Formats: sequence, C-alpha cells, structure tokens
Amino acid sequence: MSRRSFIRRRPFSTLLLVLLIAVLGWVWQERVALWAFPDIISAYTAKEYCSCRYVMNNPAAYCQGYVKQYLPTSGFVDDAASKRVTVGGLGRSNSAQWIGERQGCRLQP
Amino acid sequence: MFKGLSLISILLFSFTAQAENWPAEQWLPGPTVTGPAVQALENYAFPLRNDTTRKGIRTDALLVIHDGQLVYERYAGPTRADTPHLTWSISKSLLATVLGVAYGEGLFKLQDPVVQFYPALEKHTAMTMADLLHWASGLDWQEDYEYAPLKSSVVAMLYTRGHRDMAAFTADHDAYARPGQAFRYSSGDSNLLSAALKAIVGPARYPDYPWTALLEPLGIHGAVWEVDATGTFVASSYAYLTARDLARVGLLMARDGRWRERQLLPKAWVDFSREPFAHYRANQDEAVPGGHWWLNRAVDGAAQPWPDAPVDTFAALGHWGQAMYVIPSEKLVIVRYGDDRDGSYRHNELLKLALKAFAMKVQP
Repeated sequence: MSRRSFIRRRPFSTLLLVLLIAVLGWVWQERVALWAFPDIISAYTAKEYCSCRYVMNNPAAYCQGYVKQYLPTSGFVDDAASKRVTVGGLGRSNSAQWIGERQGCRLQP
Repeated sequence: MFKGLSLISILLFSFTAQAENWPAEQWLPGPTVTGPAVQALENYAFPLRNDTTRKGIRTDALLVIHDGQLVYERYAGPTRADTPHLTWSISKSLLATVLGVAYGEGLFKLQDPVVQFYPALEKHTAMTMADLLHWASGLDWQEDYEYAPLKSSVVAMLYTRGHRDMAAFTADHDAYARPGQAFRYSSGDSNLLSAALKAIVGPARYPDYPWTALLEPLGIHGAVWEVDATGTFVASSYAYLTARDLARVGLLMARDGRWRERQLLPKAWVDFSREPFAHYRANQDEAVPGGHWWLNRAVDGAAQPWPDAPVDTFAALGHWGQAMYVIPSEKLVIVRYGDDRDGSYRHNELLKLALKAFAMKVQP
C-alpha cells in the first residue's frame, strides 16, 4: 500500500497525526520551560506576598489583593511567627521565607 | 582690618553653605506650593482608588524635591512615609550607582571583560562591564512578564528555574548578537553585574557594600535588598526604599555624584550613566538607555520620549509604575511609586503636570 493512498483514504487521520507529531516535537523542545511553568503562580504568590507583608509591612488583607492573579491558588499559609509563606497552585507548592532586616524575603529552598 | 576680613569670610562661608540645601537626618521642608497646578497634578496622580479591580492610575507615593528641599509629598493605599516600597527595576539604576562607587575606588574599568569577575561567562568572553550597563550583553533573553510566561526569561529567573542563582541562569543563555552591538532590555544583564560586583569588591565586603558604599553615606538606613540563594543581590528587581530615601539617590545624581563635600561617584561615571547607548535604535523601548538609567534624549531620528520634560531629564524606572525622575536643570527630583496594573500611567503626563506645579523656570 502506498503512502499516497493512505493519505487519500484517511485525510483527517493523516492531518491529526501530523499535528500530533508537531505538538510532541514542540513539547520536547520546550520540556524544561513546560515542566517549570506550573510553579510560577505559587512561587510568585508566596514570594511577593512575603515581601508585601514582611518587607513593606503592609496589612495582610491588602497583600492578599496585591498578589491576586487570574490563576487560582490554594492552601495559603502565612506563618506570622516564623514569617514563612506557603502557597499551592496548579499542583505545585512553594514557600518564601523572611531572612532578615536587610535581606527581606526569599523563595525556599 | 584683619577682624573685618575674617567676619566677611565667615559671612561668605555661611552664605555659600546656605545656598546649597542637603538633607540631614530628615529632608529640609521647602516652601509649600499650592494652587491649581498642584491640584491638576493630584487629579492625575491620585484618582479614586479601587484595590479590588486594580484599574487605572494607582499612585502609592508622590514626592518632589526642589533645590534639595522637600516641597511636596503625598501617600495613598497602604504606603506611608516610612514604607520601604518595592522599586522593581529602579533597583537596576541603584546597582549602577553602587557600582559607580566601586569604579571610583578604581576596582574596575568600563571596558573590563565581565568574565574576569564572573567566570561562568566563559562562553561570552568579549562581554564588557559597559555592555551590561547598556543592556547590550547580546544574550538571547526574553523580558516579558505576565503576557508570555512560558517563554519569559525574567519570570523563570525570579520564580522558577533561575531563582536560586540568577546570574548563572542568565549566563546559561545563548548569544543572539555580539556583545555591545545591540540593545535588548534584560533583567539578566543587571544580575550579571550584581554577581560581578561580588568579585570586584570581594566576598567579604559584598554583603554590606550597597550600605557602606552608597546608602549610609547618603543617610539611608532602612533599605532592604533581597538576595538569591547564593547571596547575590537581586539587582534586577528587589530593592526596597522609602520615597524619601530614594530621592536622596536622585539628589546625588542631580548634583553630578557629589554629596555635600564628598565626590561619592566620579563625575565621569555620572556622565557615562547619562550618555545614550550608541547602538540604541529608535522606539526599542519607552526611553533611551544610558548606563543603566533612562534618558529623555532625541536619538536615531526619534523625538524625545517625554516631549514635555527638559532634555536633561533622566530616570530610574520599574514595573507597575515605579519611577524616579531627575531634572538637574530644574533642580527637581520626583519619586513616584505606584501599583499600576493596566499601563494607563504616562511618564510624560506626570512630568508635564509636575513641572507646571514645581518648576521655577518658564517652560519653552
């Protein structure tokens, strides 16, 4: 059976197959960025909330609004005693820790 | 006769001392300016604020220094006079100012290859300190923030793959141009400078260097500068200062790097900061890059970025509307902190209104 006749008999399957290969190729090329991507929302929220609250000394309620993005977060924990902020989102969790008077907050680890 | 002369010299000395105002522990208050021009500025900078929708112009702080005196300040939202506000990319200009002190110590030259101070740049040996200060490393960096998060180098650097060692993450990028040949705004370039500073001043002095070299001589005590896990200052993004303290850096720059009797930054360094990068092409960015500062200069056939401000205006600018404008010809330093999320704020508009309210000369 020639390749040409397969394309003729199954034009839509062929198109889908080509698209699938293209998508897989792109995923492979961008694998590092794609794997890191889900961390963005929780890391951003934890770090910028920590700095809003413990570096800029803004009220907690204000900082909640300040870090709000379109993507939802979950499991938000602001441990005021240790000045450690933990946030979940897109299946990942990240923490930021206040280090000191001059050094402010930093993502952990 | 001798007595008379010494009396005159004392009078002359006190006259010259009074002629130049410098902040001590606090800024000296200047004459209060009121009237319709100030009202127009406030109407622009402080519209009714909505912290839920976060739409429109949302100024957190506006402070004006004229001739070394505090003539105006107002705060909004949660920000107060003693709030060390996030400066975002104003940090880049602050790092350049810190580097200027090290330059004055004779610890490096502008044409020194950066690899000399930061060996991780072994694949980019031609890159010089001046190239990084011009945001012209030639590294293939993507500076988008919210709108292209997958491809954004800066988001990856601050929050995911790069946050532990931001300079190493930057150095790992491929080149797209020869160093020094093309402008491409890059937070990575600023953090390479920050890592280079560690070797320039030595690891023992580095953790305190921004304070000992720049902040304390200026009388700034409360600043915060966050570091990555290797202890390198996040020079791209994470310095925090009160509006009053940041204005001290502005006054230093307005007065050619001199703080009272001390030439803290060499005049040549300040000149370099205010010299447009020769390979910048028209409209590549919102203002013209100098040495890690932004300039209001007409270059490459384009008009001045801020047509209503004098040509000697230069600025440190940051994400979400952070700005410090320095206008030596008008003896003005203006700090504007904000939390703008939609890009409706215009530098030129604020400068136009502030100049109407506070400039002493008639605008051309």
